[in-house]
Amino acid sequence: MKGIISRLKEAFGFPRKNEGPHLPFDLLFQHFREVLDSKNKAIETIAGMADTLGGDYLFDTVYLEKTYGDLYDAMQETIRRFGYLTGNRYPELGALFSRIDGQIRPLIEGVSPPSAVLVVPFSGVTWDMARFIGGKNAALAELVNEAHLNVPQGFAITTGAFDEFMRHNRLEARLSALEGGAVSEEALLELQEAIGQAEIAPSVLSAIEKELVTLRGSEGDGVLVAVRSSAEEEDSEYSFAGQFETVLNVLPDPESVAEAYKRVVASLYTPKSAVYQQQAGYDIRTAKMAACCIRMVEAVSSGVAYTRDPLTGDDTLLINSAWGLGSSIVEGQVDADAFSVAKQPPYPVLRRKTGEKRQMVVRGPRGGTETIGVSEPLRQESSLTDQQIADLAAEAVRCEKHFRKPLDIEWAIDRSGALFVLQARPLRLPGDLEAGPGGGSKQAAAGVSGRPLIRGRGTIVQKGAGAGRVFFLKRMEDLGSFPRGAVLVARNDSSEFIRAIPYAAAIVTDVGTPTSHMSSLCREFRVPTLVNAGNATQLLVHGQEVTVSLGDDGDPVVYEGIVREALDAASAYGRRMDDVYEFRKKRYILRYISPLNLIDPLIDNFAPSGCRTMHDILRFIHEKAVAELVEKARYSDEMVKKHAAVRLDAPIPLDIIVVDIGGGLDIAADSSQTSVDRISSAPLREIMRGMTHPGIWRSEATSLHVTDFLSSMMRMPDITADTGDHVVYNIAIVSGEYMNLSLRLGYHFNMIDCYCSDNVKNNHIYFRFVGGATDMTKRSRRVQLLAGILKEFGFNINTRGDLIIGRIANLPKSEMEGLLEQLGRLIAYTRQLDAQLHDDASIDRYVADFLAGRYDTP
Amino acid sequence: MYRIMVIDDEKIVGDMAKMALEREGYDVETFLNAEPALARLKEQQFDVVVTDYKMKGIDGMEVLRMVKAQYPETTVIMITAFANLDTAIEALRGDVHDFFPKPVKIKELKASIQRALQK
Repeated sequence: MKGIISRLKEAFGFPRKNEGPHLPFDLLFQHFREVLDSKNKAIETIAGMADTLGGDYLFDTVYLEKTYGDLYDAMQETIRRFGYLTGNRYPELGALFSRIDGQIRPLIEGVSPPSAVLVVPFSGVTWDMARFIGGKNAALAELVNEAHLNVPQGFAITTGAFDEFMRHNRLEARLSALEGGAVSEEALLELQEAIGQAEIAPSVLSAIEKELVTLRGSEGDGVLVAVRSSAEEEDSEYSFAGQFETVLNVLPDPESVAEAYKRVVASLYTPKSAVYQQQAGYDIRTAKMAACCIRMVEAVSSGVAYTRDPLTGDDTLLINSAWGLGSSIVEGQVDADAFSVAKQPPYPVLRRKTGEKRQMVVRGPRGGTETIGVSEPLRQESSLTDQQIADLAAEAVRCEKHFRKPLDIEWAIDRSGALFVLQARPLRLPGDLEAGPGGGSKQAAAGVSGRPLIRGRGTIVQKGAGAGRVFFLKRMEDLGSFPRGAVLVARNDSSEFIRAIPYAAAIVTDVGTPTSHMSSLCREFRVPTLVNAGNATQLLVHGQEVTVSLGDDGDPVVYEGIVREALDAASAYGRRMDDVYEFRKKRYILRYISPLNLIDPLIDNFAPSGCRTMHDILRFIHEKAVAELVEKARYSDEMVKKHAAVRLDAPIPLDIIVVDIGGGLDIAADSSQTSVDRISSAPLREIMRGMTHPGIWRSEATSLHVTDFLSSMMRMPDITADTGDHVVYNIAIVSGEYMNLSLRLGYHFNMIDCYCSDNVKNNHIYFRFVGGATDMTKRSRRVQLLAGILKEFGFNINTRGDLIIGRIANLPKSEMEGLLEQLGRLIAYTRQLDAQLHDDASIDRYVADFLAGRYDTP
Repeated sequence: MYRIMVIDDEKIVGDMAKMALEREGYDVETFLNAEPALARLKEQQFDVVVTDYKMKGIDGMEVLRMVKAQYPETTVIMITAFANLDTAIEALRGDVHDFFPKPVKIKELKASIQRALQK
């Protein structure tokens, strides 16, 4: 017990005895309540925004301005009142709030916040630079600075440097002169040429030089660097996989890096990149390019690791590996080794396929790269040992844990055997797709009657079906004449295909991997795609009509002719709201509002400096407000506190720490715990009476369906799983008439704030409940169940997704006590109920049973 | 296939509505202001027009009046960020089929369109 208290104290960051102003306790308590009030208002606004910006509503800028205005006011109020409570002990919160606000406001107005920084080393990157340095840099910097993974040393050249480059060379006018939508190739080529001849502004060049000096200082003069794209929007919602230039093996002097940088910038305006940007809804005239300059790893083997199977969504790692540099894999040029690996130690290989690796990409004799043949014995030798696979798997799992989402990781292993992460970006999964017309009913393609030309060969990259005439691509130049609606058939896969991908009915290649850039692009544009099909180019004839059917049963088929049944069966793989660029752009503001990074008060980042979102600030404030109240009460001159925090010994398996701020417990001075019958706080006494009601606390574990479990593991803590009011322990702050109870029961959070006295006007109950281990549908059912019961009790109800807030006030004490007792029962009753709410009909049944006092519904 | 026109001076509204309604199998065209939309109505018949209330130039009430005068078979649904009782009453007098304050729940808009088409 003593350990818990000292850990709590440490976590709370308790003020020292004589720190801060000595406010009378009732004033202190009033400030505390006011902090909670305005904080609750802010949390509700955030929940509302997260819901409205979730894709189910049409909204506009007026809505965003107004709602964000409300949030801004509530945040400001919370911070101001928190300042009163703490004697302004956290002055940095105000500046932090302004910094987050500074990210949000330009986004609401539809512009990017400007970057004052030109060049920044990974070690100097902070969270609010994400848009200035682009997705690739942001992910790498985060892996170095926060996850402490092995990433080659490097620096970012920001969008500020890009702006400066365009300004310095007067290229802005040429850019804005481009037409919106489809841009002519001629105009693009002219722009690229102008970029090639342009010069880097001296301010940018000297900033690059400074970083290169540092790099050479730590890595030696012989070091080479890679200059890669990191476009503003890259890797955020769309991957831009393989769309931009990467220049490898560059000499570490400013002139060489500048030349490489210009090539990277120019690649923003290649015809293929223009097609991609237009298809993904971006405006090429306002797109910005940041770049990343990192030390080259002299790779013996390299490749890609997916932390989930992108086709099935199965929770296993998928690794593709080949000899030399990784470009042969991401460009789909090699029959790579493939490993399916379990995600738990010792990371056993579940399936393996050693590819016929005929060629590899290596450093060229004069810098750059060259493709050479692989010697005969090496071709069929695995490019990774089992130990290396296990090390890579462990690293990939760590990356995924850090970002809390499935990832597409590029990696390399050097001559010394050291493993490096070169890139980590979100992996798009089939589960992200919504059902299209037909409500997602996927008819089995079993009854399909066409003659199969290819069956059961190859790797499905994107499910679905498409039909059209075969376009056999012999030379890359022929892409220009690819007809809309044709089926692209090629020997290898390539990100160059982007010029055809958005228009293709389907794609089939002889060689290729599901982890290549082309595969990422096909998933993004949801083009049914089969790679590694062996001899498709021999079996399918140019001009022939075929139907490519890549269904759920995992058995890919290419039929002769147009097979209608196969097309109908696959109609469920539709487009989704996320494809709407304007929507993605506005929804981006939520990144600075709702995610919760400050999760555990017992770890290091639980400080103002760890706050990156409005939600984080509120979380921090709540935690510290509780600590402040408890500790000030402890040293208050008016009340000599003996029990700052004692453990409640209850006849149910629930650990609650009770903090008595006056008259809440009737126990001896030296007690470290209390029993239920010594509670003199009216609200807590009634809640506990309800929770321990005979038969209400189901002790048997409810079995979670495996998808429920995955759902609970992978969900990003967000407003829909607000841990904001909860330390790692359940806590009740009580006085004789007051209670603020925060419970974490399994995967959901429950907060009850209550005043229950003889003065009717002061009485209120605020009940909040959020989260759960199951999927959103089941969690929402539990919310509906709670709403049904609370309404019967006369509560005013607000629900948003899996969040429910109930309020009731101004009732006489006896009625309040009755309600609190019922709430206690309700908390216990609904504890694990979400897992049992299999359909909407079960909601009414459980509501009726609860109200009738029957608690044993199966 | 039913044809639906969406007029709103913010691109996000038209784009999101188009995505949502096309998924239901409707043919959707979007416009950022009323002038080209009304010109389009002269060449192509639409079953439903969803229009914003407050727009520069010709506003939603004017669209409603013109559509009802020239194409009485076409249903008009109005959406607005500036909802108040007066605007709602004014729209209802003009024979609007439905009136939604923004943010508009897409499910409700779809249901309203379905009801209009069943009439």
